[in-house]
Amino acid sequence: MTGRVRDLMHPGLITCSMDTPLGQAAMLLVRHRVHAVVVNDRDGRPAGLLSDFDLLAGEWLSKDPESLEAMRRMTAGDLMSAPLNTIEGEASASEAAERMRREGFHRLIVRDQGRPVGVLSISDLVAHLATGEPARRETVADVMSHAILVCREETPVREVARTMTEARYRSVLVLDRDGRPRGVVSGWDLLACLDGGDGAEARAEQVMHPALTIRPEASLREAADLMIEHHYHRLVVIDPARPEAVPLGILSSYDIVSEMARPGSVWQT
Amino acid sequence: MVPPAAGMGLQGQDERERFENEVRRILKAAGGERLVLRLLGSLAFQMHCPRYGFLQAKLGRAYTDIDFASYSQQAKGIRDLLGRLGYAEDREIFVVTEGGRAIFQNPVIHMHVDVFYGKLDFSHVIPWDGRLEADEPTIPLAEMLLEKMQIVQINEKDVIDTIMLLLEHPLGNTDHETIHMGRVAALCAADWGMWRTATMNLGKVGLLAQGYVQLEGVDKARVVEQVQAALARIEAEPKSLAWRLRARVGDRVKWYKDVDEVQ
Repeated sequence: MTGRVRDLMHPGLITCSMDTPLGQAAMLLVRHRVHAVVVNDRDGRPAGLLSDFDLLAGEWLSKDPESLEAMRRMTAGDLMSAPLNTIEGEASASEAAERMRREGFHRLIVRDQGRPVGVLSISDLVAHLATGEPARRETVADVMSHAILVCREETPVREVARTMTEARYRSVLVLDRDGRPRGVVSGWDLLACLDGGDGAEARAEQVMHPALTIRPEASLREAADLMIEHHYHRLVVIDPARPEAVPLGILSSYDIVSEMARPGSVWQT
Repeated sequence: MVPPAAGMGLQGQDERERFENEVRRILKAAGGERLVLRLLGSLAFQMHCPRYGFLQAKLGRAYTDIDFASYSQQAKGIRDLLGRLGYAEDREIFVVTEGGRAIFQNPVIHMHVDVFYGKLDFSHVIPWDGRLEADEPTIPLAEMLLEKMQIVQINEKDVIDTIMLLLEHPLGNTDHETIHMGRVAALCAADWGMWRTATMNLGKVGLLAQGYVQLEGVDKARVVEQVQAALARIEAEPKSLAWRLRARVGDRVKWYKDVDEVQ
């Protein structure tokens, strides 16, 4: 893995003080959409890290009112992990990845000449990994999204909408209880739930549209033909030998456009 | 005059032998039917500590009942067996504990038998996890140590049994006449609460052993040495992320279950 830690990290630190109650620390994580905050000591120096996993202890141990009260009295300083695990900004991405794997860390505080300047998390390294280009981009299998967001037929659409928003996905594949594909819910389908009625109480199976399927070895041209002919924005990629099995992936119109925009594609030469 | 605590008090040799003979009778019958039935409690310590078992009588440790461990699949076989040996089961206990425990009474010989199925579940849980076959006729020595060390409100009878165990058997990584510290350390590393109680109690045993005038100086030193070695082995075991997180909360949140004594 190439690249320097300083280029991959999230610059800046979200901090709280040692005496911040756990409830407030949780709010800080949500507000800044981060998974950990740096806990500063009384002199404002980073002393430890409080992650969302650490905060789980609040729910985990609040089995009765007495325990809940004890946990509510705890602060970020009580629950943080210390000392901070740091890495220099000049270190390579592979060095950071190796250290995370070896020492079981999920994030490292990045230092520049000894001063904390940012946070490098597993997600940052994963995002870096995702930027690598596949060797071949000719078929549906080459450009489809292999990871798919799924829900069951009975999933409430409110949950579907929440998950799509949080995961930043534009569609959800609907499976039956045995994992067979039954349809797709897209943002378009969810518009019907905003008509002022009780649409948000509906289930996925009530708003989904039928899945249009394609083989993984099909060309991008075939995929584009199919989308245009049916006016579909996404195709469900299935294993032709096992069409009822969990699909191999999803191909969206955006995936094809991304391929067109890729430097070196036939559209850019 | 303050009456002695349960399990403590003078007990004649005849009465002790009556309990020991009844244990042998039940175990022989269970063996004949290939039932996995292992002894725990005071009688297990007596049976597994032939050199130091005399300390129970010498220190005023009395038998009050007979405790066994088994797997839940054996519950029907054990019920039938004990029925044939003159015992009647209190079915309510079996139902209330969801099959985790059975209590039997023999009204003729006035014996009380407890059977713990699948696990011992008091202040902390000690799962049998297929471990009962590792020793015979008692539960393995590691589980015998844990049986006592998991008790938050540990009392004198438990301390006496533990002293006997630590004097009689070496620590090691096998179950054969050895306290398998790998098993003890693994359970303590999986659950911070168990670690907290067990390490607290090991320390108490080391301290309280010094107060028994009936123990020789060399035995007191041996108990301390065994306790220190056990604590070192427990500390050396790698701890899980959940353990380390729980450790940060520490004693602020109760780490054990209150025990409802079933008579």
